Amino acid sequence: MRTCAGCSLRIEGEWEHCPLCGGALHGRAEPSPYPAVPLRFSRRRVLRVLMLSSLGVIVLSFLAQLLFGHEAESLGVLRSVWLGIATTWLVVLMAVSKRRNLAKFIVYLVVAAGGVNVYWDFLTQWSGWSLTYVLPILCSASIIGLLITVRLIRMELADYVVYSGLTVLLGLTPIVFLSLGWVGVALPSVICGALSIAVVVLLLTLRGGAVRHELATRLHL
Amino acid sequence: MKRRHWVRLDNVSNIFPAARSDVDPKVFRLGAEVDHEVDPALLQLALEETFERFPLYHAVLRRGVFWHYLQDSELQPEVTAETEQVCAPLYQADRRTLLFRVVHHRRRISLEVFHALSDGTGALWFLTDLLTAYTRRRFPGESPAADELAEQVRPGASERPDPPPAQIGTHPGAQAAEEVHELTTDSFAHYFRGRRRRRAPSSHEEDFTREAAPAVLTVEEAEDPEALQAAGGEDEVPPAPRPPRRRTHRVRGTRTPDNRTRALELSMPAAPVLGLAKAEGVALTMYLTALFFEAIRRTDEGALAGSTMAASVPVNLRQFFPSTSARNFFATIRVEHTFGEGDDSPGAVARGLQEAFSAEATPEALERRLHRLIRVERWPLARIVPRPIKDAMLSVINHVNNRSLTVAISNLGRVTLPAPAQSHVGRMQFHVSAVRPQFCVISHDGHLTIGFTSPYVETAHVREYARLLTAAGIEVSLAAARTTEEELAGVEP
Repeated sequence: MRTCAGCSLRIEGEWEHCPLCGGALHGRAEPSPYPAVPLRFSRRRVLRVLMLSSLGVIVLSFLAQLLFGHEAESLGVLRSVWLGIATTWLVVLMAVSKRRNLAKFIVYLVVAAGGVNVYWDFLTQWSGWSLTYVLPILCSASIIGLLITVRLIRMELADYVVYSGLTVLLGLTPIVFLSLGWVGVALPSVICGALSIAVVVLLLTLRGGAVRHELATRLHL
Repeated sequence: MKRRHWVRLDNVSNIFPAARSDVDPKVFRLGAEVDHEVDPALLQLALEETFERFPLYHAVLRRGVFWHYLQDSELQPEVTAETEQVCAPLYQADRRTLLFRVVHHRRRISLEVFHALSDGTGALWFLTDLLTAYTRRRFPGESPAADELAEQVRPGASERPDPPPAQIGTHPGAQAAEEVHELTTDSFAHYFRGRRRRRAPSSHEEDFTREAAPAVLTVEEAEDPEALQAAGGEDEVPPAPRPPRRRTHRVRGTRTPDNRTRALELSMPAAPVLGLAKAEGVALTMYLTALFFEAIRRTDEGALAGSTMAASVPVNLRQFFPSTSARNFFATIRVEHTFGEGDDSPGAVARGLQEAFSAEATPEALERRLHRLIRVERWPLARIVPRPIKDAMLSVINHVNNRSLTVAISNLGRVTLPAPAQSHVGRMQFHVSAVRPQFCVISHDGHLTIGFTSPYVETAHVREYARLLTAAGIEVSLAAARTTEEELAGVEP
């Protein structure tokens, strides 16, 4: 075993210099009880900064729309392109941060994309296209998407049951808007509502126990 | 369809996921050095056997709306060669993984545990069984008879408790600082365990729910507060008002390049160090803490005369309140010393620390703490606060708490393993990831090992510590994990 004269220590491992005082070592080296683990430079901080600054830019670009008002006709195309890019970027960020739970991502997607579309509609003189077409189509598509996802990917029921429930609840909102009379054409909302109700009934009859167990777990006080 | 059993995380354990950071992943390591190169295949078999007996270790940590909770899983652990740094992160939110790992490197077997799952004593029970199962396979000729093995009791179970600590030091509370884990088997215990087993065969699910329950709620004697108050007698006397808290000296340094824990280890024969502590009339933990203060004072320019140094010392509550829970069950006691106000020799400092520690480590004082823990556990307001807010609050509390500490300490005490592990294990190791310099002590078979961890690359305080020991005529050897770029340059991984 090597020794450090300065510290009067025996040093285990193939050290050239004493890890404590940096002095020269004497004696025969023997294998270290610790492996030499290569440095791992963490990219997490960089990613976090990128994520937060991106979110900042996206929120600002949405807020900036309010400054331009409804009438600026010349802004029409530019505004759509700008909002389109910002929304895509938002979806990418969510997909990255929720990549470990697809069911959760779908809920986030519906909320974010639905919200952006309603806002967009509001900016372009509130003709109601978002509530009439976009929201019902988005909700139905996400329910179908979720059904396919849990079939294709091996997911434990406990992992997706709560988020499936949330997605289906979101699917019921077009019915609310329909009853409030905010919707022009009824058909998309009716289809979406019917689909949601069908899935709710299926979920409660086939997986009712699991749903209650999972909710009890997560909401335990 | 499988309904997984789950138990919510208790308040003491909740601090760990909340206070976890890139620098301090809240992981600790217990290790053992055997007398041969570790056989990974046998270790895997031993791990599978041990894993079966510890339902708590099947748990994954999940996040609810109001609480973190431990959920039973079907994951299987795998023994791996050591390729990560000491105390590498274990828990990542949203990723469902076991909360412990078993690694091996040359002659060492190490168990790393996320602190929310278990504390040092709980993890030591697991490691003990793992080492016993491994050495039994590796040295089949030395094993006890087969029928005896079938009824072997899990260490720490009520039939196989740790013996009370030996009387060390001259102060009444001294023994609280010194633990003894004689994890050997006992035929009387076998008998009772065997009978109970036959009467009430329990499923894995029931085992999980029982073993994962918060430790404070497993203390039967403490369930009836009135009985305790009657027993406590003078509990009503309020504690003496604390002197105004001075600014505590804190060690600063250069962060390690990839935020890994800087881990060093000093090993030495235990007897002469115990002799030094006894000569000063103090428990070993307090003596080593005083040496640590002295080492920091010698190396840190910021620590001038008049500065106060403080350490947090965990006390294993199982010593006072019988519990077979492997979950977190400890309380920390803060001790401090202000330099430049009298005798600053390590012996005198240690006596001062011992006095302060003994005053708080009495059964009565700890009982009060235990009650506070139980109260907090049942406090309605703490329940309805959503988890993210709870986490944020705990994180702030942890931060404020850290500001009042110079160092942290943990002593697992003297360990005795059952045969045939006892004769094939030499030194044992103990490291805890840390946001400030910390040292952890464990002794086995006459070898005392002090594990130093720190988030900083500087090692001057360990150098001074080692020199204080060698100056007293103790033979010390150092093992270190390479941490900085210079240390790793030109070394084969």
